[in-house]
Amino acid sequence: MENAAIFGWALLWIICWGALGGVVTPRIYARKDLEISQASFGGAVIGAALGPFSLLPLWVATPKITNRLIGIAIAIVVGIFIAAFALADPDNLCVANGGFVISQLANGIVIGIIYGLMALGLTLIFSILGVVSFAHGEFYMIGGMVTYFISAKWLPGVSPLVAILASCIVTFAIGYLFERIFLRPMGSGEIERPTEYAILVTFGLAFFLQYFTQALTSAVPVKAQRFFPFPRAELPADSGALLKMTPGNVTIFDAVSIPNPRFTAAVLALLMLAALLWFLYRTWVGKALRAVSQDRQAAAVTGINPDSMNSLAFSMGAMLAGLSGASLVQVFSWLPQVGIPAAARSFVIIVLGGMGSLPGAFLGGLIVGLVEAAGTGCIPDATRAAAYIPAYGMVILTLVLLLKPTGLFGREL
Amino acid sequence: MNPTALFRVAGAAAVVILLLIPLASSELGGLGPLVLSGYVMHLAITAFFYAILASSWSLLAGYAGQFSFGHMAFMAIGGYTSGLIGKFIRFTTAPSELCTDIPLFGSWWLVVLNIRRVGTIDESCLDMAKTETLPAGTLIVFPPVWASIAMGLVMGATFGLLVGWLVLRLRSTYLALFTIGFSEILRASISAEIPITEGQSGLELVPLFPAGLLGFSSTSKIPPYYAMLLLFLVAMAMMTWLAGSRFGLFIRAIREDEEAAAALGVNIVRYKVLVFVITSTLAAAAGALQGHYIGIITPNTLIILQMSLVIAMAVIGGLENIYTASVGAIVITFMLELLRTNITIGPLHIDMTLWRLVFFGLLLMLTLRFQRNGLLYPILERISRGGVAAETVSIRAAPDEDEVDVEDEEHPPSGPDENADAEAVNDHAESDR
Amino acid sequence: MLNLTANNIFKNFGGLEVLKDVSFTVEGPELIGLIGPNGAGKTTLTNILDGALKPSSGTVYMNGERIDTRPPYGVARAGLGRTFQVTRAFRRMTVLENLLIPAMAMRATARQRDFEKKAQDVLEFLTIAHLRNEYARALSGGQQKLLELGRLLMLDPQMIILDEPFAGVHPRLMEVIYRYITETNAQGKAFIIISHDMDTIFTLSRRLLVLNYGDLIADGDPAVVREDPLVKAAYLGEDEE
Repeated sequence: MENAAIFGWALLWIICWGALGGVVTPRIYARKDLEISQASFGGAVIGAALGPFSLLPLWVATPKITNRLIGIAIAIVVGIFIAAFALADPDNLCVANGGFVISQLANGIVIGIIYGLMALGLTLIFSILGVVSFAHGEFYMIGGMVTYFISAKWLPGVSPLVAILASCIVTFAIGYLFERIFLRPMGSGEIERPTEYAILVTFGLAFFLQYFTQALTSAVPVKAQRFFPFPRAELPADSGALLKMTPGNVTIFDAVSIPNPRFTAAVLALLMLAALLWFLYRTWVGKALRAVSQDRQAAAVTGINPDSMNSLAFSMGAMLAGLSGASLVQVFSWLPQVGIPAAARSFVIIVLGGMGSLPGAFLGGLIVGLVEAAGTGCIPDATRAAAYIPAYGMVILTLVLLLKPTGLFGREL
Repeated sequence: MNPTALFRVAGAAAVVILLLIPLASSELGGLGPLVLSGYVMHLAITAFFYAILASSWSLLAGYAGQFSFGHMAFMAIGGYTSGLIGKFIRFTTAPSELCTDIPLFGSWWLVVLNIRRVGTIDESCLDMAKTETLPAGTLIVFPPVWASIAMGLVMGATFGLLVGWLVLRLRSTYLALFTIGFSEILRASISAEIPITEGQSGLELVPLFPAGLLGFSSTSKIPPYYAMLLLFLVAMAMMTWLAGSRFGLFIRAIREDEEAAAALGVNIVRYKVLVFVITSTLAAAAGALQGHYIGIITPNTLIILQMSLVIAMAVIGGLENIYTASVGAIVITFMLELLRTNITIGPLHIDMTLWRLVFFGLLLMLTLRFQRNGLLYPILERISRGGVAAETVSIRAAPDEDEVDVEDEEHPPSGPDENADAEAVNDHAESDR
Repeated sequence: MLNLTANNIFKNFGGLEVLKDVSFTVEGPELIGLIGPNGAGKTTLTNILDGALKPSSGTVYMNGERIDTRPPYGVARAGLGRTFQVTRAFRRMTVLENLLIPAMAMRATARQRDFEKKAQDVLEFLTIAHLRNEYARALSGGQQKLLELGRLLMLDPQMIILDEPFAGVHPRLMEVIYRYITETNAQGKAFIIISHDMDTIFTLSRRLLVLNYGDLIADGDPAVVREDPLVKAAYLGEDEE
């Protein structure tokens, strides 16, 4: 980085004014007897956006802090951040090469869709059971393992769709059995602190599944063949300026390049998402599920059995993680430990999006996918950046938990 | 014998046995037929290390109800603080002028060494100073191990204070996620800051005791055994005292019902922060001592699986009692090692080094499902509270139609509970704003 | 002599005004009933007096000290104790431990055994002495209610707020609670009792506060309040069974 100082000062500016806004704004709003539920977070982002130029008008006029206002402020913060980065490091590939930037963005969105799908499973579980499953990463790992072993070892030549379906069935079944045997008794009402003990037992499941897979498969990394290679094609036929496909890659406008495995994974994820939305909003069972997540007692009164909804939610959540793993086993190499960072990422996403919020989880997945793509593509000093990548998400997670535990879309606590 | 006296006698006997165990070690020739190899002594030290972690976590989670998953982070803070002091701090009798010099009393200086870049063969500033600026005969002294361990404790307490204060408002799932986040941030930072912490290859720590102390060799397990045992006993004594005092009473009240405790005058803020400070300090102490004993500490000590191990030990022993948690940790440490023997049944060859952890995970899940209080705690409970039901019946004043059947104490009849729940539901429905 | 003064208490939740300009003063060991229809703001007022909620505006003073800025444990130490609508015993602690907590919390240097005698007296007064070493969760709902009242005696406050002490309690237990209130009141502790049980509240209390959708619409002698047309319209007419 050439002018690292510029970037550092911009960051310091954002943090200091953000902190000031976050601390002072709720006091001012409280003194004027206004609603303060959004004041802390809103004050922080508005302060971070334009510092004194936005804070003083805010404190004088004290307008109602709407989501729209917060959205604009966040956009300004991101803009300042990017501008400072561009000024500080004008030769960086992310600043100088537009095609590279668009490629990174496209890849970020593609991978973000899959992250979103996985986090959707976790948030579904949380919204119904009130528990975060610490075994979510292990379901992801198992989904990938089952797909790999079927498509590469046991039944080579069979359609990858069969392997993916099998991995869905396996993860669903494990999730169902686990919920019935270990989680349901926790919610029976005769146990004190059911949430904490339920979290502990998912911890135990994670431990068990990870070592079980390791004992069965040994710790050699595996990777599946790409499921559906692209046909070779060029548009227009001679130059390929608009679209160019090889079995492993697609290039659009000669600039945006997306590898085939990521592309197919994202398409699978989108199909699954559509199916999930149809299920949740169009079928009776899906509506019952949403009813339970909104008001357990009221739903029980109308004849829905909340216990069976628990089982369904947990096994569906596990299956979504399994499906994410199944579609990504052709992208990353696979180990029994591969679920740990994936689970950590899902925690970040659901906290960011708001615990229990389905749209929040999906949007959070996109954001995390984009940030990761930017992080790996743009940050100089690659080895150190790579070592810090798990930490960035966790910093976001801890900050959101402290400042705005409801996340972007969460219900009020 | 009444239960209290029984526990005192059993505790005293256990302490005496633990103090005498080194007599049976192979270094001292064994005790008759009983000869404990250096490996067994090493296991014992590790067992005490886990026992301190499991019992302090039980104080935090089982007594105070704060299910934190970042306990290993405090352990690592203790170890790394002590190790970094050993790596970067020296005392000299003259200023080095090439390093950061801080004057102390008399002619002594505290010298902070420079951070060397990775992949280069930069000399440390003190080495250069030796040949260039330091007068001949200057003494260069390493910081004493006990002092760097003490600093590790201070750092553990400081971070415990910080985390405890930050999580005051967070409960259950939110607390779990926050503490995992804290632990992961620390792990990633340690892995990334290679020039300071050596990253994945691990930070080396000086041995706990200088070679030749009291005639023991540098590889002798007996001095570190007593050091870890001492820390374990001190920690247990301290936690026993705390659990029996107002502190124990209040943190259990906070676990049961924070708001009700506050309404009865319990300073919940102070005690919630305090329990984090105390348990973090204990974890840091264990981490620092273990780091110096092993000689190296790596960021892998705070991965989630290590945390699961400590949790599993406490849960299987009995989460709600510091003694059952620590006994659980000791037993499980030895069990996991004993189970390393491979099993061959006919054509079936089971590699137990892999499968033991699978069974262990299963045991953890089954314990949580069927014996939520752990495998040892119910025994303790039976001994200490066996007489309560009889006592209740014998001193019952007048017949009371509202009485519950207290004989069946382990499974309180669901009747009154259901009524209470029904009342609660009604109350909620009727409650005004 | 006890003096509790609430001045112009307002409380909003979001846009909803739950308390509007509520002011009253308690002097000496009064026995006050607080009534009002559902949603009148009774529990909110309790939570504000106790420090669990902060008022949007207004102040509460106790014996000249401002208590609305204090956390609940600060208010408890200033001499105000309360029970909750839903019984909140410390379920996995023994009855004796339940009683020791407030006593210990009030005095920084005290030891547990200093209070065991007093705890025994309290338990005998409440007719649950034989349960002293049982876990609170083994007690019936009514016994847990008595345990909560016992904890307040150990806290030894100057003023006690009881939130629905008679709800879901069978007659024999009601006698014990009734006796608890009158005897403790006679020893010089003030009471504010929130109840839906009209008959009991009219015979028990010597002063009535009536809340209606956040307004304090009446304050005075029960016999007078009963005839107040505002109160009749707002409350008694619609809710009395």
